[in-house]
Formats: sequence, structure tokens, C-alpha cells
Amino acid sequence: MRYMDVVRAGDGGNPTGASDDDTDHSSGDSLGEGDDNDDYHGEDSHGGSDDSREVVEESDSSEDEVAPRNTIGNVPLEWYKDEEHIGYDLSGKKIKKKERQSKLDSFLASVDDSKNWRKIYDEYNDEEVELTKEETKLIRRLLKGKAPHADFDPYAPYVDWFAWDGAKHPLSNAPEPKRRFIPSKWESKMVLRYVRAIRKGLIKFDDKPKEEPRFYALWDDSTPAERQGLAYIPAPKPKLPGHEESYNPSPEYIPTQEEINSYQLMFEEDRPKFIPKQHTSLRSVPAYEKAVRETFDRCLDLYLCPRVRKKRINIDPESLKPKLPSRKDLKPYPTTCYLEYKGHKGPVTTICTESTGQWIASGSKDGTVRIWEVETGRCLQVWDIGETIEEVAWNPLTEFPILAVAAGQDVFILDTGCGSHEQQKKIEELLHVEPQKATDDSDISASIVNWVRDDRHGGIRLKHFKTVTKVEWHRKGDYLSTLMPSGESQSVLIHQLSKGLTQRIPFKTKGIPVSTAFHPTRSIFFTATKKDVRVYDLLKQKLIKKLEAGVREISSVAIHPGGDNAIVGSKDGKLCWFDMDLSSRPYRVLRCHPKDITGVAYHRSYPLFASCSDDCTAYVFHGMVYSDMNQNPLIVPLEILRGHSSADGRGVLDCKFHPRQPWLFTAGADSLIKLYCH
Amino acid sequence: MPKHYRPPGKKKEGNAAKYVTRSQAVKNLQVSLPVFRKLCILKGVFPREPKKKVKGNHHSYYHMKDIMFLRHDPLLEKLRDIRAYEKKVKKAMSKKNRDLAERLLTRKPTYTLDRLIKERYPKFIDALRDLDDCLSMVHLFAALPAVDRAVDGEKIPVDRVHNCRRLSHEWQAYISRTHKLRKTFISVKGIYYQAEVEGQKITWLTPHALQQVLPEVDYRVLLTFLEFYETLLAFVNFKLYHSINVKYPPILDPRLEALAADLYALSRYFDANAQSSSMKTKAITSTGSEQVEDQKEGAELDEAELRLAQLQQQLPSNEPGALMHLVEDAASEDEEDVETRECKNLFKNMKFFLSREVPRESLLFIIPAFGGIVSWEGEGAPFEESDQSITHQVVDRPAQGRKFLTREYVQPQWVYDCVNARIILPTEKYMVGCIPPPHLSPFVDNEAEGHIPEYAEAIERLKAAERKEVLPLPGMGKEDLDDPQNLLGIIDRAEAIEAAKRKQKMSMLEKQYHEELKLELQGAEYSAPSTDIEGRDAEGDTAPDLQQLAEDAANMSKVVMPRKKRKLLEAMEIGKERKRAHVLRLKERKKKIDEAKKSA
Repeated sequence: MRYMDVVRAGDGGNPTGASDDDTDHSSGDSLGEGDDNDDYHGEDSHGGSDDSREVVEESDSSEDEVAPRNTIGNVPLEWYKDEEHIGYDLSGKKIKKKERQSKLDSFLASVDDSKNWRKIYDEYNDEEVELTKEETKLIRRLLKGKAPHADFDPYAPYVDWFAWDGAKHPLSNAPEPKRRFIPSKWESKMVLRYVRAIRKGLIKFDDKPKEEPRFYALWDDSTPAERQGLAYIPAPKPKLPGHEESYNPSPEYIPTQEEINSYQLMFEEDRPKFIPKQHTSLRSVPAYEKAVRETFDRCLDLYLCPRVRKKRINIDPESLKPKLPSRKDLKPYPTTCYLEYKGHKGPVTTICTESTGQWIASGSKDGTVRIWEVETGRCLQVWDIGETIEEVAWNPLTEFPILAVAAGQDVFILDTGCGSHEQQKKIEELLHVEPQKATDDSDISASIVNWVRDDRHGGIRLKHFKTVTKVEWHRKGDYLSTLMPSGESQSVLIHQLSKGLTQRIPFKTKGIPVSTAFHPTRSIFFTATKKDVRVYDLLKQKLIKKLEAGVREISSVAIHPGGDNAIVGSKDGKLCWFDMDLSSRPYRVLRCHPKDITGVAYHRSYPLFASCSDDCTAYVFHGMVYSDMNQNPLIVPLEILRGHSSADGRGVLDCKFHPRQPWLFTAGADSLIKLYCH
Repeated sequence: MPKHYRPPGKKKEGNAAKYVTRSQAVKNLQVSLPVFRKLCILKGVFPREPKKKVKGNHHSYYHMKDIMFLRHDPLLEKLRDIRAYEKKVKKAMSKKNRDLAERLLTRKPTYTLDRLIKERYPKFIDALRDLDDCLSMVHLFAALPAVDRAVDGEKIPVDRVHNCRRLSHEWQAYISRTHKLRKTFISVKGIYYQAEVEGQKITWLTPHALQQVLPEVDYRVLLTFLEFYETLLAFVNFKLYHSINVKYPPILDPRLEALAADLYALSRYFDANAQSSSMKTKAITSTGSEQVEDQKEGAELDEAELRLAQLQQQLPSNEPGALMHLVEDAASEDEEDVETRECKNLFKNMKFFLSREVPRESLLFIIPAFGGIVSWEGEGAPFEESDQSITHQVVDRPAQGRKFLTREYVQPQWVYDCVNARIILPTEKYMVGCIPPPHLSPFVDNEAEGHIPEYAEAIERLKAAERKEVLPLPGMGKEDLDDPQNLLGIIDRAEAIEAAKRKQKMSMLEKQYHEELKLELQGAEYSAPSTDIEGRDAEGDTAPDLQQLAEDAANMSKVVMPRKKRKLLEAMEIGKERKRAHVLRLKERKKKIDEAKKSA
């Protein structure tokens, strides 16, 4: 047990760093003397240390063993913890406890005395034991697991004490077994296994496989070279550097300080990634710190980005524009402003040409209706109606030069006096309305319209119950349609002049109507609401078609003289051409005006049509309709007519063609009427 | 019913069947994501854009055929084997069976990429077409520090860096040797080179030879790419070397290699090889066909020894003249096109010496590529600084102390500018200590860009002057050009010609303008009488008419265009406008700078 203690203590201390300034002790016996010289131990301790040494270098004989000084035996030392003594010696006297060294002292001792690490406290005998060099060596050997004595040879040659030679009697008299003479079966099995393994290549003898040339002419064999798998899309190559990436760029590529500062105000993604900078010499160029990062990003792009083959069009933008026939071939069409008709005091809202082409009538916001001679620009007649004129319309018959005027809630039918003497008489007859007849009418549609003789202007006055915005003559000159957008179910009315009758159209209209038109040849009636254009057959009294313009708000509609095509102008500046034989959707949408289209018009005989808009321009188009059903209409923009100036946010308010010449009249918000000639 | 309801028993159709998301693909292949990534990189499989993204917008989609393509690749099986093998090693290690582990490690299964390269690039030209990224990456890794360091837990192995270095040198040696380099450009990012091999323009970037910054990125991705690129470049090099009858893995002189003069060593190797091959061909022609087999057998054995012997024989001689002779011998003149010949003769009869501070590798690459002879300050150099025949010394220091009067001292940029301009530029702007003229990118088409930098114009003028001249006599021509006095004369003449041309153009334009004006006036007069009645003034209207007319004409055709085309046209116009604005800004800056210069 004590022995174990020592070992443990030796483990805790540092046995390897043995100091050599000890005197060499040759043997166990002389150790005692050696220790005698050591004056560290008292008289009592001397014997004890001697004993311990005896125990350590134990031998077989128990005679050498000196009994320990203490005689308490193998009892827990705790029992003596609180006593003054640690036990009894041979003579039965108490052995007193020694004084404890304070921690400081023991520390100082350990510092001063280099041999201190060898000292071990023996609890049983209450003394300090110093190990000799021999003893530490012994411990070290034990720790290594060797025999404690250095001179012990574990591998000594074996001495066979029991010699056999010439022994008369063998230990066993059994005959030599057969297995000594036949080859081992197990060995042959093992060999067989090895052979198999070698054949299979499981066991290899050459440690390093032969170095084959790793590279060879990969592309030299003439095997058909076709890429497998899906179509390969090569990655786009990195962008080549421009002048600004140079280490010494031209000075104009270097942004000024203000520009660099202004980059801070930009959005993060708009900001230039790279700011050019001048290095005065090649040696001052630093390493590019984003080199690895950029390569990495490129790698990520290569294997993570979905690739799509995009057709990059490298074409001249001019080639995108459609090939239009030369404008010269499409002459004549109005190109230049030829005349201006001045006289109105307010924006001219409406104009109309007389069917002979000699006169035009115009209505203005200043409340006057004027009639002009086309060729001279002379103002023939002025009526002061007193209310904003919404629409003027000449009777399409040449022998009845009468004018319908929509102003406020009234529609006036005026005698212009432009006709010959005979015609004048007929007109007067026509326009003669007996007051009683008007009252007769009233029982049919009294609430709708009042036919009254207008004494002031000399004509008929049709009193409506809401504001009238449109007046349109039927081609025969007897019927007249008026439009009251807020009239709801009675918003569109048709008046018969010869009989002085008024009726509303026998269809239900949906939405607020904005414009109406008669078919030029057949008894078909068009009503344009904000969304679509409805086509009614007046004879059968039913809806034929609905033209869906797909624009925000329709403002005007015009019918081609052939009757199968129509154009619709909208308030978002789009002009839709409908081929009604083709479909109920626009054949073509022309986005010509940036502002509202206010009016559209067809020419009666030439293949022309025009649109005018609040952006102070009027477009003239060539619109050829072929009699061949297979050929689509040809639409060519011809001319942009400018000249009107904007007033109060409005530009050109109306446009009409001359009935026989390729001339265009435009009515502007700047109170002018202009005539454009070819 | 859910949006994508598919009745049971009915197969998926359309985009849902054709495309799978990445996680589906990984599941399908039964591999881990890193392995999938590696497979994709090595096989060159990339996500595609389906018309309809069935699984949502934020997924990347792979085509099912691509996934099947991966699935049938033997590499997938090989990677699985490797994984199993690694488990074996790990098990041995954790059982403390070091012997077994080590033995296992020596027989690790490996895979080769040659099949993949052949699959991805069935023709050599395909490989060349895709070589840009490969070269840039290999050159970048060649510039990385070759030290074993942990970056982000992942190491950039030293041998990979060395391999990259070797490959890049081999490539450069080939390009330089065959004079295939066309353009160079020093940018902030590094030096761009463009070479033309088999009609393919190959551009790559080499970083400046300085300590590179290693950011925290996923180096495994980079290394996988590099793995493929290394193999690809080695095979390409092999093919190229064999096309000029040089053995491929070149055996280099260890002394020069130790001095980090690999390029020079390679050029030496080329020379030795060329000599041997020319000898061989000579022998063949003289002795006839019977010896061919003999030659081949003997050559196989003796080649290495022969080469080494030649190297040794050449080493002490240290004579660069011989080198150049060999170059001329070896290059097959009949195959060369005009451009190659032009490149080859640019620095002919010129000897360069590089100072310590200039980027040696780059210049050692460029100057021989354009027919010059070059040496450097340091060990292993073919000739010394004191050599009297040196014509140019490339210096990049504030002041040069000792100067030889027989040579010109230029900054490195001069070499690059000469190469791009393909003429020998006058050196006075590139003197030691002065700020060189701006270095312009050769990759920009100035005309298309709309702005021509001043120096580009000057170079253009010099070139014009060069072309005007009857080809100079071999002895005379160079001096003619180098003489600044003479050169100034040339410039003046060129300028005069330019000015005359400009004048002529101006006068033409003026005449045209006058004619137009006249016509316009006539038109106005014609319409004047009619308008006068109404008291309208013709002038006010006709003045802006021309502009208006042009605008109207443009507008009118736009009116009838379909929306798709119109939008396209508008986009094009926006692009053009942006470009114009950029040019305008450049011109403005230029003007300001000029003004500042004038006032100063």
C-alpha cells in the first residue's frame, strides 16, 4: 500500500526533470549514511526513512524488513486526525504529530531546494521522505511497464535444465502421425484463394500503377463528332473592356469630382460599378481586389443561370417601318393651308360644307352661325343664335340649301338663301310650319319636341328637353336625327321635315351615346356610345352589329361612302378603322394623336380620310377601299396639317372635306377656319 | 379543383413533365447537392427557362432530358464509388487501422475528364470557341499564392496552382511561338490578350502579378471549374503542340524553371524540338521511306535524351541569335496569313531589355510574339544589360541613372501600344519619367461608338503615314521611323492631307446647303402670292418646316406600325439616345479639359 502511495506521488511530481547535483548513492545500505549527512531530517525521521527504503527495495526475505515506526497497523488514518499523536511506537509510547509547515514555507522550500520535488510526505509515519536517484529511476521504469531492476534481463537465453539428450525413454511412444507426411489441405485452400484473388485482380503486386500519358490527341480520331444531349446554348462571352477600363484612360473618360459625387444621389443599381481612374505609370497599378470575386461570379453565372437563346436583332430601325407606297403616287391630298376664314370671336366648334361645295357653314362658341363662300373667304351671312353652337349641318340635297343648327336645347332649321329664286320658294314652303300643326303634333310626342316657327331667324325651331349635341341629315334630305346625350331613352330622335314629325328610334340604347350617323346608301343607322358603335337596321328595327373599338372613350364616328367601313376616333388619341365585312374588331388602330381626337371625316369621292385632335394637328390619310373583297383596305398616312394654335387647352375642333375637291376644312379653337388644299 | 389538377393515372404533360426543379433533380439522381453541382459543372448542364414555370417563379428549372443525360453518365457512378471508398477509408481511420487506411488511400479510385471534354466539345474548334473562360481562370489561379493556407476551411492546393502556372505558360509559349497574338490591353483588372487560333478570337485576362485578395467565396465551386478547365487546356495544348510538331508534355530546363523563367525555358524547348524535328524530316527525305519505321522506334527511345542533350548544348552558348534563326526555320511560312506575317515582323531586328520593375512575364510573352528578342535583368537571362546591340530598354522608374546612348528607354506601355497599332510608335512620349499618352482599348470600335479619342486619331494618322510610304528598305526604314524629325514631317504631311480632305468635304456640304436653300426660297416664292392675299407670312411657317417635315415623316410611318414593332423601335431609339448622350458627355468633358489646358 505504501508502495502505491509513492508511485502516485512520483506521478504528481516531475520525475523526468531530475537534477544531477545530488551525490551518487551506490547502494541501499550506504543510502542510510547518505541520508545521515542530510541534516534536513530529525533524529526520529531518520529511522523511518530507513524503513521506507527497506520496503521499496524489497526482497524475498522478510528478515531485512524493518517494521514501521508506527504500530497502529492498517487502520484508517482519519481516526488519528484530531489526536495529538499519530500512533504508538514499539514500546507503546505515543508518537507525537509534527508541526505542520505552512504553505508559504513549503513553497519557499520548493523554490529554494532544487531537490524538493523528490520529497514525499509519508502520512503514516508523519514524516518527509526524500527519494534517492536510484529510487526515482526505479519508479520511472515501473511507469514504463518494465521490470523495476535495471539489471533484470527479461530475454535471457533459455536454459533447459531438463536435458533430453540420450534419454532412453521418450515421453511419448506414439508413432509419427500421417499429417506430418502429406501437404496441408488448409494451406492448399488458402493458396487457391490467393490464386483466385490474384487472377481476379483483387490482389495487385505492383504498388504503383504505371503512369500512362494523361493527355493524348483527343480530337484526332475521325469518329463522327456530334454533341449529345439537348441543344447546347453557349454561354455569352464576357464583355470586352472599353477605353474607360484602361489603367491610363483618356482624360475625357475620367469623371470629374462633381460627377462622382452625383453618383451618390443615384439609385444603387444605376450607379456605375466602376469609376475610371488614371495611374501615371504601370508600376503604380495596384492589384485588382475583385479579381477572384468576379471569377467566382462568372462561374456562378455559368452553372446557375438559366440560358435562353435570345435572338438579338441587329437590324436597322428603319427596316422596322413598314413599306408604304410613295406619297407622290397618292396625290392629290391637302397639304398646305390655302385660306383662312376669320370672323368668329370664339372657338369654332363645328363646320359643314354645302353639297355643291360653294359654301361652308360654321358655328362657334360665341353663339353665331356664319356662312362663308369657299373660294373667296367672304362671309355671306351671320346668325346670332346666342348660345354655343354644337353642330351645323347642311341639307345634303342641292336644291334645298337649308341648314340645321344645334344650339343649346334647340335645333334650328334655317333658310340660308343660297339657292336660286325657285328653290327659295320651295324652301319657304317647306319651312312653313303652322303653329296649330305643331300643337297637333304635340299629342303624339308633345313631351319630346316642339316644332315652332322661329321668327327671328326665319326658320323652324325644334325645342328639345335636353342639350342637343349632334344634328345629322339623312341622305334624302327629309329626315334629320338629333342627339341628346342626357336624354336617356329618348336621346336619339329622328325628325321628318316634310311632315313635321318627330319620333325616337325604336331601339334601346345602352350607355351614353356620343355620336350618330346614317348609312350613306342603306337604311342603317349608327350610334356610337363611349364603348362601342352599334349598327341598327332601321327597316327591320334590330341591331345588326356591335363594333368593339377597345378604346377608352369614343368621341366621333364617320362612315365610308361605300358603307362597309367606318372610322372611330377616341379620346385617347386612337383612330380605329373598322372593316365591317371583316370583323367587329378594328381592322387597324392608328395611334396618331397624343391628345383627344375631336373629329373624323371621310372624303365623299377621293380615298381620303382625316382626323383632327386637340393637339392642334390634323392627319390626312389615304384610305383606299377595294371592291375586291379579298383585298384589305390600304391605309397610308399622308400629311400632318399644322397651323392652328391652342386655345384653352383645345386645338382643332372639327374637320370636314370639301365635297368635290381634295380639300380639308378645319375649325380651330383659335376662332379660325382653315382650308388646306393640294 | 386545384390549379394544376391531374387526374390519377394520367401522366404529367407539357412543361410539368419536361422540367423539374433543382431539388427534384437532386432527388431523382439520388445524389447530394454538392455532387449534383459538381456533375452539372463538369457536364456543362445548366438550368433552362421553361415557358411555364409550374412550380413557381423562384425555382431554377432543369430540363428532364438534361437530368437523364446526367443520370446515364458513368461519372455519376464513379462519384458514388468514390464516396463509398471514402467511407471505407474513414472507417479504417476510425478503427485506428492506419496501415489499411494508407493502403486504401494509395489505390483511391479516380476519374478522368477526357471523355467529358470530347462529349462537350466534339470538334477542336468548339473547344477553342469556349476557351475564354478557361484561360482567364487558369491564369488567375496561376497568379494566386502557392502556399497551403486554409481559406474558409477549403484549401487551394499548391500543386493545382503550379499546374495552372505550367499550363498558362505552355499556352503562352505556343501563342508567342506561332505569332498568334493580336491585341493586348492593360486594364485596371489586369492585362487582356487576344489571340487568333484557327480563326477563333480568344480573349483572356491575366491579373497583374501582385498579391491577390482572396475573398470568402465557395472555393469548391471554383476548384471544380478549374479541374475541368485544367484538363481542357492540357488537351488543347497537346493538340496545338502537336500541330507544330512539338512533343507535348514539354521537358523544361530545371535551371530556368527554378529561376521562374518558364516562358523562356519553353521557348528554348520549342527551339530544341524544332531542330530535332527538322533534322528528322531531313533524314527522312534523304533516306527514304524504309527508315521511317526505324526512325520512329529510335526516336521514341532517344527523344528525351536527345532533347536534354540539345538543351545542355545550348545552355552555355547563351546565344539568342541562334534562337531567332531557329524560329524562322521552324515556322512554316506558307501556312501563315497576312496578319500573322505582319505580327511576326513588327519587332523584327529589335532587341529589348527589361528592367527589374517591369512586368516581366507579360513582356516576355508579347515581345517574342511580335518577333522581337528580349532579355531581362536577373539570372538566366540570354544577354546582359551591357549588350551593345540592344535597341530598346523597357524601364518603369521615375528616372534612369545610367543611360546607354545606343538604345532608347521606353515605358512598358509603349510596347503594348505598338502592338495594338501594329506600327513602331515614336518613343518620345514614352520617355522615362513622363506620363505616357492615354492607353486605349483595342477592343473598341471607335467609329461605331461615336467618339474617337484624340490619341487614337494620332495613331490613325501615323498609320496612314506608314501606309503611304513605299515599303522602307530593310536598313533604312527603321531609322526613318525612329528619327523624330522625319516622323514629324510625316505627321505634318498626313495632317495636311487630312485637312485638305476635310476642306473638300466642307465645301461639298456647303454647296449642297446652298442649293437646298435656293430650292426652298423658290418654293416659298411660289406659294407666296396666294398666301399674301390673306395677309399670311410665309417665312414664319416655312422656317421650321424642314425639321418638322423630317419629324413628320418619321412619325407617320410610326402611326401605321403594329404595336410590337413600334415598341421595339422605341426601345431602339432609347438605346441610341443613351449612347448619344454618353458620347455627348465625353465630348463635353473633352471640351472642358481642352479649355482648361488652353487657359493654363
